[in-house]
Amino acid sequence: MQHISLKAVTAIALGTLSLGMLSGCGGESPAPTAPDTSAETTVTPSGEGGTLIIRANGEDFVREGFTTKDGWEIEFDNVFVSLADITAAQTDPPFDPEAGTELQAKAEVKVKGTQVVDLAEGDASAEPIPVAELEAPAGRFNALAWRMVPADSGPAEGYTIWMQGTATKDSETVPFTIKVNEELAFTCGDFVGDDRKGILTAGNTADLEATFHFDHLFGDGGAPAADSINTGALGFDPLFALAKGGVVDVDSAALQAGLSEADYTTFLSILPSLGHVGEGHCEEVQLTSL
Amino acid sequence: MTGALALGMVGWGLPVLAHGLTLDHRWVNSVEVQATFETGEPMVQAQVLVYAAGNPSEVWQQGTTDDQGRFSFVPDATLPGNWEVMVRQAGHGAIATIPVGTVSTAPANGSKPDMTPGVEVGSAPNSLISPITNLSPVQRGITIGSVIWGLIGTGLFFARGKR
Repeated sequence: MQHISLKAVTAIALGTLSLGMLSGCGGESPAPTAPDTSAETTVTPSGEGGTLIIRANGEDFVREGFTTKDGWEIEFDNVFVSLADITAAQTDPPFDPEAGTELQAKAEVKVKGTQVVDLAEGDASAEPIPVAELEAPAGRFNALAWRMVPADSGPAEGYTIWMQGTATKDSETVPFTIKVNEELAFTCGDFVGDDRKGILTAGNTADLEATFHFDHLFGDGGAPAADSINTGALGFDPLFALAKGGVVDVDSAALQAGLSEADYTTFLSILPSLGHVGEGHCEEVQLTSL
Repeated sequence: MTGALALGMVGWGLPVLAHGLTLDHRWVNSVEVQATFETGEPMVQAQVLVYAAGNPSEVWQQGTTDDQGRFSFVPDATLPGNWEVMVRQAGHGAIATIPVGTVSTAPANGSKPDMTPGVEVGSAPNSLISPITNLSPVQRGITIGSVIWGLIGTGLFFARGKR
């Protein structure tokens, strides 16, 4: 499985470097200095602010389709995700989801209610799906958290993730519907990607993005078989094996009943790795705590 | 932090050269970032973007990690605060926040400057530092001797008369 959390990007040494002089100057290291982890938590927006747009993004895998690790061409018609308690926060020191610490916000804004969005909406050039617009205090929103709860209405009602599309391999096309009802909760740090996000100045607009990496579930046929994105993925073959009448239509209960124990374990272990902020990793605190 | 140091300070009597030679000597702080996947596998040739404190929108320096997932840079000590290093590769990425403090001016006697680094310090030698700071006394002697011998040779070359 592609465990995408980087163990660390850490500064491990700060030393002295003598440039231009060939005689050594000693190799002693300075004494360690622990970072200050105390932070004052204030949760009420105040002062001048701007507009913060929260977006959801299934990336090109969802909008354009892709080839799974086992050679299925996947096209999505809809990928509904049900998001709740979306919270954008300013943190200092910056929240690190891999440090095992709690997110402590200096300021935060929340989206009320549950939002169900279709990540497959729009073509390849479409902007990530807007989920909400919030008035927010100026500052750096370098943390984002959300829960995934069963949708209370619409086609995805009762499910946290609802995927529908077609899978094609060797001239065989299989319609599929995969319905997931496991609840998830992601707590993430700063967005990692081509652009910096969440930097909000007074009177202006900034955005944040909840990103979903569905290649973790299916694998990526464009990557080497030995790549962790493939070794850790379920692929589509195990789902195809559950087809009835040429159609795959499964929910979490059917997956538990139909998949091998190893494949079902893989499926469950992938869910907590779906949520990202761009390429940045999140901590999943709901399913992994069961 | 920057000082000019005549080579004569090494302690050997050198010939006075018509072509003066001065080597600059500068103390700097170097930060080394180690990027690894959860498996421990290094992020080789990953993109690295460095953002100075107070300016998270503009890339201050960029580069790539080496074959061990390491990247070193020298932050501008006049910009104290939280520096950020973003490392990305094949759809995976992370950001490290590195508090950078102030560095006092190096003492005139060449001893180590006072530092307030504010980052975790490992015992592993910095790849940029080790070739210089880890020299044994014998190696230092050989190095210094080689430089002096080169200077003497250069001096004799220019001191020779026209034939």
